[in-house]
Amino acid sequence: MILEGAIIYSNLLVLLALGLTLTYITTNVPNFAQGSYAIVGSYVALTLLKLFDINPYLSLPVLFVVGAVVGLITYLALKPLLKRGASVEILMIATLAIDLILLGAIGAYSEILSQIVGSTQAKFVFANLDFTLFGFKGILFVSTFVIILLLIGLYLLLYKTKFGIALRASMENPSLAQTMGIDVEKTRLFSWILSGALACVAGGLLPFMQEIVPSTGDLIIISIFAASIVGGLRHISGALIGGYIIGLSESLITYYLSQAFGTGFLVYGKVISLIIMILTLLIAPYGITGVDWRKVKKMLFTS
Amino acid sequence: MIIEIISLILLWFGIYYIVSLSLNMEFGYAGIPNFGKALSVLVGAIAVGGILDRLLILYFGVGGDFITGTTYATSMLNDLIASNPIVGIGILILAIILASILGFIVGAIFILPSAKLKEDYLGVTLLAISEAVFLICMYNLNIIGGYYGISTPDILAFVPGEYRGWAFTGIVLFIAFLVYLFFERLLNTPFGRVLRAMRENEDTVKAFGRDIMMLRIKTMAIGSAIGAIAGALYSLYTVNIIANAFTRVEWTFFPFLMVLLGGKGNNKGVALGVLCYVVVKVLLDVYKYNLKYTLNIPFEPVWLSYMLFGVLMLLILYYKPSGLIPEKPIITPPMKKKIMEISNK
Amino acid sequence: MIKVKNLNAGYGKLQILFDVNAKIEKGKITTVVGPNGSGKSTFLKTLFGLTKIYSGEIIFKDKNIAKVPPHQKARMKIAYLPQTNNVFANLTVEENLKIAGYVLDKDKVKERIEIALNVFPELKDVLKRKAGTLSGGQRQFLAMGMALVRDAEVLMLDEPTAQLSPKLAEVIFEKIIEMRDEFGLTILLVEQNAKRALEISDNGYMFVSGRVAFEGTAEELLNHEKFKEYSLGITAI
Ligand SMILES: Nc1ncnc2c1ncn2[C@@H]1O[C@H](COP(=O)(O)OP(=O)(O)O)[C@@H](O)[C@H]1O
Ligand SMILES: [Mg+2]
Repeated sequence: MILEGAIIYSNLLVLLALGLTLTYITTNVPNFAQGSYAIVGSYVALTLLKLFDINPYLSLPVLFVVGAVVGLITYLALKPLLKRGASVEILMIATLAIDLILLGAIGAYSEILSQIVGSTQAKFVFANLDFTLFGFKGILFVSTFVIILLLIGLYLLLYKTKFGIALRASMENPSLAQTMGIDVEKTRLFSWILSGALACVAGGLLPFMQEIVPSTGDLIIISIFAASIVGGLRHISGALIGGYIIGLSESLITYYLSQAFGTGFLVYGKVISLIIMILTLLIAPYGITGVDWRKVKKMLFTS
Repeated sequence: MIIEIISLILLWFGIYYIVSLSLNMEFGYAGIPNFGKALSVLVGAIAVGGILDRLLILYFGVGGDFITGTTYATSMLNDLIASNPIVGIGILILAIILASILGFIVGAIFILPSAKLKEDYLGVTLLAISEAVFLICMYNLNIIGGYYGISTPDILAFVPGEYRGWAFTGIVLFIAFLVYLFFERLLNTPFGRVLRAMRENEDTVKAFGRDIMMLRIKTMAIGSAIGAIAGALYSLYTVNIIANAFTRVEWTFFPFLMVLLGGKGNNKGVALGVLCYVVVKVLLDVYKYNLKYTLNIPFEPVWLSYMLFGVLMLLILYYKPSGLIPEKPIITPPMKKKIMEISNK
Repeated sequence: MIKVKNLNAGYGKLQILFDVNAKIEKGKITTVVGPNGSGKSTFLKTLFGLTKIYSGEIIFKDKNIAKVPPHQKARMKIAYLPQTNNVFANLTVEENLKIAGYVLDKDKVKERIEIALNVFPELKDVLKRKAGTLSGGQRQFLAMGMALVRDAEVLMLDEPTAQLSPKLAEVIFEKIIEMRDEFGLTILLVEQNAKRALEISDNGYMFVSGRVAFEGTAEELLNHEKFKEYSLGITAI
């Protein structure tokens, strides 16, 4: 039961962390707006449900497109700063500003939607719409399916297509990639579009497991960063590893703590992510995928 | 009406100037991307709500749970203050001392995990720590009453209601002025110059045998102590504390906006930045419903203000990255002499 | 092939190259020598569009390409091999070769890879390995092989023999000659090993502090008094 929730949460976290890592690798921007991207997706799904009676699962492709646009706009907004060679602090402040704009837009939209629908839409869940299969929640299967689809898609893209190899080349060494005739700009654009798209899809699934309010994005951003950093911000696979580590430990550890010390402990989920993140940064600053395992082995064997 | 608005503007100017001055030292001078500035302000609230209130409960021997306890204890204290102003001033000073000590300690600890981190990881870590503490304070009602809220003493209980606002504004402006003098002195010492040098190039500072980590710890300890003073003043002004008030947007993002708008690394510029922001903020606050109904905005104006301030921040970053009043180059006394010599020739 | 006129360039506000004039002749090896920090690498980077050009012209096939972005220069059949990090460490050797032909169509890439592997048969056994695991010599072969795949007309090499044993360096020099003679490539070479490089070159330039100090045929440069002093290390010019 509790493991079920943990896996669902981890799946969604992977979707969000993957986008964060991707744009960090290609443009060096730590994107604080990633959490709000998801909430944009949640509200678009809610709109489609309320106005057109479309099941949120069926609106995932729409969310993908909406997210792609949001990611694209973010990139275009950051581009003057990137071009100027702005420092990473300035870029972070810019993404905080974009996050605030998104929060304002979502909040405003939630109230407009409430008026159209005629009841308050500031808080909502989709859990009541979910199906069950073999006694498990539908969202478990759907989110896992999305992850598998994503991984296969990414594998095919990155290893089997020319654009994908070029993408990996640009991530590793953009200036060398340019000398090969690769338009690195295109790969940056692509990473932001994909990042937004994945986050919005995650946002469409999120209301199946937790209540959404306009500021939910600010809450989940800690876990997203924790996942990306623990896995390693320099490798795409880091988001996958980090997503499951943070997702599972946040859910499971808080669950056991609350079993032992009472439900008051449920609020400490984010603290668990934070502690794991800080420990990782102190022990292995570049995350799990950034560790040189051969060196570690050597050290273990010689000592 | 207009008088009240001016009083409010000045009050908020004082509080935000204190926060922005401390952020300016951390970010503008030392280059530490403190995206966890809100934490120090929250610490000020904890000093008042979590410590001072508890001391009062103990002192007056009030029973029952914490939240209702604060109501009784503070109203007993307010009666005392009403008849004896010295008590009110004493409580204010006690609150400031508590806040700055707690802020100093928290600031020093807060920066420790950053020992080995680059700017981006550092910024993320500080933001995450601040946010996590905020969430705990919000949902754990035993620290400062969480989303439910607690009462704080009214240090001006002896002042008639209609003058209280002005009196408090005066106190806040006076303290803001002291803080300004403090930073002007501090940042014109070798310490201030080392901070700027650290921002430009850590290696040079290392080469001069200065320990970067120690500098960061000092900076953040002082910065957080000052931020906490602002938090304490705010908590005393509102005579109650609701954890929801200490959000990242209010106490991290907006101070960054003010510092960047005014010009980072320049305390006078920051004053201008704070003033610009505060005027807009207070006018929006006061006239938001007029605005809503005259313009027929179908949602709460707060969302509109978020969008506006977000866009404003982007515009500053695009077109005025060094702010309205850019930082001046450092001129040390020997340099001054040299310049005088040259200009005399 | 390439004519450089009154070129001033640098990084941001830091000017490194001052009023450089040079001519790189078709089908020949032109070598740039000079002390460390004299701007040799910056010169190559500038020709490829990786620095900031303040003024001057770079004429290639009768067109001024000073403002053409790097990825488009690659399409104009100009190849540039940086001094370090000149292969993608996380990609396999095969992927590296494929990516080198990014601007070519599929069949052409296959054909060119075949040619590159003939010139550098050492790469055939390591096609599936990640480039990051190769030895220094193999890496340099790969980098040069990638330039061949690109079907470039002009090849700019930045210190291809740095950190290689003298024996391996000699192999690299032979390959460079082969690339000129077999494929008619125009080669612009920057070398620390100035004497050996000039011996295989047609023309030479000597840079000092971002300016052209001498120019001439490789032979003239080799016999120049100052050059002899410089290469013996008597004067730091
Ligand atoms: N990316 C860069 N940014 C700023 N300065 C640079 C950069 N690369 C090189 N330089 C400076 O340019 C000068 C010339 O360097 P370079 O062209 O690498 O010389 P060479 O290749 O002849 O040894 C040096 O003073 C070096 O410090
Ligand atoms: Mg060089």
